[in-house]
Amino acid sequence: MSAESGTVHEHHWEVSWAPLLIAIGVMLLVPLTFAAFFVYEAQLYGIIFAGLGTPLIVAGIVKWIREGVTEPAVISGVSDVGIGIFIISEILIFLSLFAGYWMMRISSGAAGELWPPAGTPEINKILPLIMTVILVASSITYHKGEEEYHEGNIGSFKKWVFITILLGLTFFGCTMYEYNHLIHAGFNPGTNAYSTAFYSLTGFHASHVLIGIISFLFLLMFGTVNKMFVKVAGIYWHFVDIVWFFVATQIYYW
Amino acid sequence: MTVATDGIPEDTGSSHGGFKLKEWIFTTDHKRIGIMYLIGSIAALLVAGLMAMGIRIEQTYVGESGLIQYFVGDFAGNMTTGDAYNAALYFHGAAMILAFLIPGLTGFAANYLVPLMIGAPDVAFPRINALSLWLFWMGILVALLSFIIPDAPDIMWTGYPPYSITTSTNTAFYVFTVHLLGFASILGAVNFLVTIIYMRAPGMGWNQMNMFVWTTFAAFIIQLIFVPVLAAAVTLLLLDKYAGTNFYNPDAGGDVLLYQNLFWFYSHPAVYVIFLPAMGIMYEVIATMAKNRIFNYKVAVWGGIIGILVITGEVWVHHLYIAGMPNWIRIGQMITTLMISVPVGLMVISWWGTLYKGSITYSTAMKYASANMFLVLVGGLTGIPLAMTSMTVHLSETSFIHAHFHFIMALFATFSMFAAVYHWFPKMTGRSAEGKLADAAFYVTFLGTQLTFWPLFIIGIEGMPRRYWNYEMFPQFEPYHMVATIGSFIIAFGAALMILNWIKAAINGPKVGANPWKSRSLEWTHTDIIAGPGNFPKPVTVSEDWTPYDYANADGTPNTSN
Repeated sequence: MSAESGTVHEHHWEVSWAPLLIAIGVMLLVPLTFAAFFVYEAQLYGIIFAGLGTPLIVAGIVKWIREGVTEPAVISGVSDVGIGIFIISEILIFLSLFAGYWMMRISSGAAGELWPPAGTPEINKILPLIMTVILVASSITYHKGEEEYHEGNIGSFKKWVFITILLGLTFFGCTMYEYNHLIHAGFNPGTNAYSTAFYSLTGFHASHVLIGIISFLFLLMFGTVNKMFVKVAGIYWHFVDIVWFFVATQIYYW
Repeated sequence: MTVATDGIPEDTGSSHGGFKLKEWIFTTDHKRIGIMYLIGSIAALLVAGLMAMGIRIEQTYVGESGLIQYFVGDFAGNMTTGDAYNAALYFHGAAMILAFLIPGLTGFAANYLVPLMIGAPDVAFPRINALSLWLFWMGILVALLSFIIPDAPDIMWTGYPPYSITTSTNTAFYVFTVHLLGFASILGAVNFLVTIIYMRAPGMGWNQMNMFVWTTFAAFIIQLIFVPVLAAAVTLLLLDKYAGTNFYNPDAGGDVLLYQNLFWFYSHPAVYVIFLPAMGIMYEVIATMAKNRIFNYKVAVWGGIIGILVITGEVWVHHLYIAGMPNWIRIGQMITTLMISVPVGLMVISWWGTLYKGSITYSTAMKYASANMFLVLVGGLTGIPLAMTSMTVHLSETSFIHAHFHFIMALFATFSMFAAVYHWFPKMTGRSAEGKLADAAFYVTFLGTQLTFWPLFIIGIEGMPRRYWNYEMFPQFEPYHMVATIGSFIIAFGAALMILNWIKAAINGPKVGANPWKSRSLEWTHTDIIAGPGNFPKPVTVSEDWTPYDYANADGTPNTSN
């Protein structure tokens, strides 16, 4: 979100309406929509809240990125450090989920119970392998794209990003296929301790894949591409890739 | 040897035009964001304080007061006394900690002061900063919605399962309040860590930073690492309640203690997120008002602040002493918990050393700081018996523990926050908030706090349980509750005087010059009394021997070069 120049301050009060818009959108889309659907069972209100919130967030992000491209930053070249620091907190969220999983798993072992617990259908061990290959490939394609970007071939860069998006979507599709299959087999989040861990960990990871894909779409949307945005999106995507190794090994192959 | 301070125009604060609403609502400037954090957190303080009054009124006599329903907005009397009391208890705790103390100290104080103290034009990511602010406000809104909805959360600020899952009230709004405020904190952490690492004025080394900058740095490291764990803990609560998962469901292999562990893994360090910036404000006020360098600066930083940072992540289990655990964990936790008094002690010694042989001016902020030196002693020392496993069996879940953490949170940290407002009031408004009204407000508030919380220590030792709205089995405690309730009314009166004084002073308090406290810190020496956009008229650089506490010349005589 920073531009080339680091020296600004023609002295006037800096303003941007993007943050407020996004915050209002988040308020509508997350707490209010959730409460309408799940707490008060007022679907109509839920649809209204989500319908108002989503465009506000999108408009806010578009405005935000525009400003990031056109307006000079207070300090340039630190967004990659920023995303690195942010990823520390992401790691801690994943660790908390893993802590829940490990605790359930270990206490069930200590009690001499079967793992996976009763009610777990046969889980396909081949599909996660294919998904791993897809995700690693997408990290490589994005890296290719970044190289092209640094050579100055914006067209070629966008082509690689497009391929990355396709791979990400394929990965996401595999997750959806797997969920669909398992839920039909009677394996839903509430079935047992394993299903709880399975859906929360893979689901939380899948949500990160989705956020990565969306940020790539924003990369393609604009004519000018911000160097830092390219780098930040890349760091985030590689992180999503690395986390998958932990999720897959812990959930499928332990 | 000292930095140049010439060429500062007298009052250019108004040259950027008058009040424009657009320039406040859409602002990305850290000073204005800081002030809007202040307004939000003081609003949370007042509403949550009102809940505290309701709680005190309910506890004054054994039996129902019939008044608590009005405090939580249930004018039709649809709730039972217990329900209304629980809703008040929830709002009081959640709002005081999550919406007043943390945003007040890491939102208002950090935003307003850190870029000014390190000589930066703004934070590294101003738009993310604005997003933090507005997510914080949305979090407050979600919390306030509990006065409108019929099923206000009644799960304390801790939200322990299984009750929070089985209750028919709206646990989701508790979870989303935590999410919004938590995400605001994480973004704040990214912003301030990058800002402090990369945007210090050229020449400013780590050991030359203001103590407040150091404490903020440590507080945001804690936020960054531990907030996500709380966010995860409450997310699992949400999933368990509304999506039917089994994390906290022992019937299907889950464990309710998982929640308590995850929750306190954040919420114990959260104490230091509040405590550290409060300590930092104390340092600034004490050093400026005593016109003295920080005693033992490096020990206070590397032993005190970093010491707390190192220990903070491994003491949370002491909140689970009575929830059940093997004895060897209890002993280990007792040792690490007691060890925290070492870094805290180092920092407190450093205050006293800073005052030693200083020439002390008792500004209003300094009065709050003086009171704090007593309050932190009471709050800190009463923590020691609670850390000891044998004592805690007796004291846990009594009002002793309640009085203990109120001495640190409600008194020490809150007084620090008030001291910050008074100390930097000239910076924010160009006017002084000193005077008789300020003094009166201080003495009244201090008296009220002592009346409110000392009785709770006494009846806590004698066995008064925490959280109860009725205590018919302990009628002998009634007089103590009566004193505490009178105290709470006195606090409310003092707080009203203080707010009145702030408003009065902001509108027509006496105008002050550029550096009313004769401070050596950059926010006073290098910019106008009200800093404009971009903070500093020209980029700041500092010399190798610059320090923000440069009050004495090499021969020990006072440095009056400013």
